[in-house]
Amino acid sequence: MNKTRWLIVTIFVVFGLLLVACASGTATEAPPAEQPPAEQPPAEEPPAEEPPAEEPPAEDMEAVTLRVLTWQNPPTVEFVEAFNEKFEAAHPNITVDYSVVNANDIQTVTQTRLTANDIDVIAMFGFANAAQPFMSEVEPQAWQQLVQAGLLMDLTGQPFVDNYDEATIRDAGTVDGKVYQVNLGRVSYSGTYYNKDLFAEYGVEVPTTWDELVAACETFKENDIECMTNGGADGWPIFVGAYGLLGALYPDQAAMVEGLWTGELKWDDPETLELWEKYQVYAQEMLEPGTSGIAGDAAPGRFASGAVAMFPNGVWYAGAIEDSEPDFEWGYIPFPGSDNAEDNQYLFGKYDMGWAIAANTPNEEAALLYLSEFSEPDNYQEFVNAVGFIPTQPGATLDTQVGQEVAPYLENFLVGFEQFWSAPKGAGQWANGSQGAAWFQPFGEWDDAAALAQQSQADLQAGLDTLE
Amino acid sequence: MTQYLFGTSWKRWLPFLFLLPGLLAYFIIALGPSLATSVFSLTDVSGIPGIPINWIGFENYDEFLLRGLASRDNLAAITRTLIFMFFVTTIQFTLGLVVALLLNQGLKGTRYFRVLFFMPVILGVTIQGLIWTLFLYPLGGPVASITNDFLGLNLGFLGGPPREAFAWVIVVQIWANMGITMVIFLAGLQTVPEELYEVAEIDGANTWEIFRNVTWPLITPVVNTNLILNIIGSLQAWQLFLVLTGYKAGTQVMGYLVYAEGFGQTSGGAGASFRQGYAAAASMVLFVIVLVLGLSTQFLVQRRERRLLG
Repeated sequence: MNKTRWLIVTIFVVFGLLLVACASGTATEAPPAEQPPAEQPPAEEPPAEEPPAEEPPAEDMEAVTLRVLTWQNPPTVEFVEAFNEKFEAAHPNITVDYSVVNANDIQTVTQTRLTANDIDVIAMFGFANAAQPFMSEVEPQAWQQLVQAGLLMDLTGQPFVDNYDEATIRDAGTVDGKVYQVNLGRVSYSGTYYNKDLFAEYGVEVPTTWDELVAACETFKENDIECMTNGGADGWPIFVGAYGLLGALYPDQAAMVEGLWTGELKWDDPETLELWEKYQVYAQEMLEPGTSGIAGDAAPGRFASGAVAMFPNGVWYAGAIEDSEPDFEWGYIPFPGSDNAEDNQYLFGKYDMGWAIAANTPNEEAALLYLSEFSEPDNYQEFVNAVGFIPTQPGATLDTQVGQEVAPYLENFLVGFEQFWSAPKGAGQWANGSQGAAWFQPFGEWDDAAALAQQSQADLQAGLDTLE
Repeated sequence: MTQYLFGTSWKRWLPFLFLLPGLLAYFIIALGPSLATSVFSLTDVSGIPGIPINWIGFENYDEFLLRGLASRDNLAAITRTLIFMFFVTTIQFTLGLVVALLLNQGLKGTRYFRVLFFMPVILGVTIQGLIWTLFLYPLGGPVASITNDFLGLNLGFLGGPPREAFAWVIVVQIWANMGITMVIFLAGLQTVPEELYEVAEIDGANTWEIFRNVTWPLITPVVNTNLILNIIGSLQAWQLFLVLTGYKAGTQVMGYLVYAEGFGQTSGGAGASFRQGYAAAASMVLFVIVLVLGLSTQFLVQRRERRLLG
C-alpha cells in the first residue's frame, strides 16, 4: 500500500506542476519591472494609402460582427449607438455588437476580453500615470501592460491618426514612438455646474473665490435649497468634485506629484492643511444629505431637476443634464478653491475616451474602417457636440453650451494630479491625498482635517521609506 | 493471502480506471488551479499573456504582510474578513435554525414560507445587490423613509461611513444565504423521530427542554455541516461587496482584495496595474486562514458528534 500511496501523491504533484508549466510557458529571466517595456515585435505593415475603391456588393462581402466596447456614459452611449446604425447602414456586411460596462469595471473587462480575443474596438482612457524619473519600484500601468503584451494594435501611419492634433497623439496615445490609441477629447473635471435660475432667484452672484462659494451655499441653505449634489454611491464623484480645490492651491500638479515623492512637499504642510479643511467643508457642509446614495449617472438628473444649486463634476455630464431637462439653464465655472480669484482661473482635466483596436482582432479591416469613419471631421464634430469633450482634432469647434462655458478657460487648461500620480509600494490607503474629500464623514470615517492630513502624509512616507 | 476483488490480472486496475474521470475533473477544476496559484504567488505574473513572468520568491508575501503601511491595510482587511465571518456565521446560523424550527411545526402555509425564505438564494448576487441598493436608497428609499425621515436617524447606508456600509453588507449577506442554512436544518429536523418528542412531552419536558435534550443533540450532523459551510462561505465572500460598495476604503475583505489586486481595481479612479502574482499571494494567505479555521472547526464539531452520537 505504501507504494500505491506514493504513486497517488506523485500523480497529484506531477499533474499540478504540468498545469503550472503549461500556464507559465513564457517564463524568462526578464529585466526588473521598472525598466521600459521590451521592444514589441514589428507590427504588420499598415495598408498602403490607395484611393478608396468601390466596395463590392454587400452580398459578395464576408459578413463581419464587429465587437465594440465602451464604458457607461449616457451621451457617449447614445452617440455611439446612433453612429453604429449609420455605420451598419453604410456597410451592410458589418454588424456592430456594442457592449457597455460600468466605468469602474472597464479595466477588468478590457483585460479579460483582450486576452480572450473577444473584442475588436475598445474605448480606453488616455494613457497616463506612467512611471516618471523620480519614481521607483512603481508597477507599470494597465495600459502599459497591454501594450507590452502586444494586445493593442499599432496604429502608426493610419490615415485617420493625422486627423488628431500631434500633442494629443503624443501625450495620450503613444508608447515608444508607436501610436496605440486615438484620443477623442479632453475633459475638465475641476469645475462645477451651477443652476442659473436659482442663482438669479436668490440674488447670488457666481462665486469667483472660496469665500463667495461658502456664502452662496449659506444663502441657498437658508432658503431650503440644497447647495451641491454628486454621485456619492459610485465613490469617485465625491473626490473628483473637489479636484478644483487641489488645483487652486497647486496649479502645477505635475510638480506637486514630484514634490510629494521627493519630500519637498508634504500632505501635512501648514500650507496644505488649508486644502484638507476645505475638503471637510465641501464634504460636510456643501454636499446635500443623501449624496452618498446617489448613483453617478443619477446625479445629473438630480441637478437638472432644479432641486440643487450646484453640481461639481466633469464636463462629460453636460449632455446628460441637457437630456434630462432641455430647458434647464445652467453654467460651468472653475470650482473656486482659492480665496484669491486669480487662482481660480484654471480648469484641470485629462484626456478622456479614446479608441484602440485589439492587436489580434480577426476583423482588422472592419475595425480600422470603424475608427476611420468615426474620425472623419463631420462625425467627430457631432461626437464632440454630443458628449461635451474639448476637441482633439484641430478643425473641430466647441459648438455646445459646455464648450462655450469652458472656452474662456481653455488657455488655462492643465492636466490634473490624477494623471500623474502613482503611489510608492508599501504606501497606505490614505497616501493619495487628492481623494481626501471622500474620506470625511459622511462618506468616510474621518472628522478631523489635521489628523487626516497627518495620516495621509504618514501613509505616503511609509511607502517612500521602503524604497531601495 | 491477499484477495483481489477484480481478479489478479489487469482487471485489478478497473476501480482506478472508473475513478479516473472524476479525479481528472477534480485535478483540472480544483486542485490544479490551487497548486498553480501557489506557484504564481512566488512570481510577478500580471495575468496578461505575453508579459514575461519572473520568479521573485516571497516578495509578494513580504509586500502583502510586512511592507510599509500597505501591510496595515491588508491586515485590516484580514481582520474585517474575520469579523464578517463571525457575525454572518452567528446570525445566519441562529436565524436559519429558528426559521427551520418554525417551519418544522407543520403549520398552514409552511410550504409557501419555505419558498419565500429560500428565494433570495436563487436570485444571484447581481439581483440581490440591485434589490438592496434600491431598498437602501438614502433619498426616499423604503428603509430611509423609516430610519431617516420617520425616526430622524442620519444613516448613510451603503454610501455612508465604511463601518455602516460594512454592517449593511453583513445584513444583505445573511438575507441572501439564510435560506440554505434553513433548508439544511429542516432536513435534519425531519430525521428526528416523532416518538422522542412524544415521550419527552409525556415526561413533562417544556419546549426549551425538548429542544436542548432531544432536538439539539439529534441534529448534530446538520449543525456541524451548517457551521462549516457558514464559516468557509463567509470567509470567501466578496461578490456582494463588489456590487454594493465597490472598492471602498474601510470595507474591503480578503476575497475582494484578491480580485481588485488581480484586475487593477484598487486605485479608485487613478491608474492601476494587473498584479495576479500579488493577488495569488493574498489568496494563499486567505487559504491558510480558511484552512486553519475550517480544520479547527471540523475537529471540534466531529469530536462533539462522536461524544453525543457515538
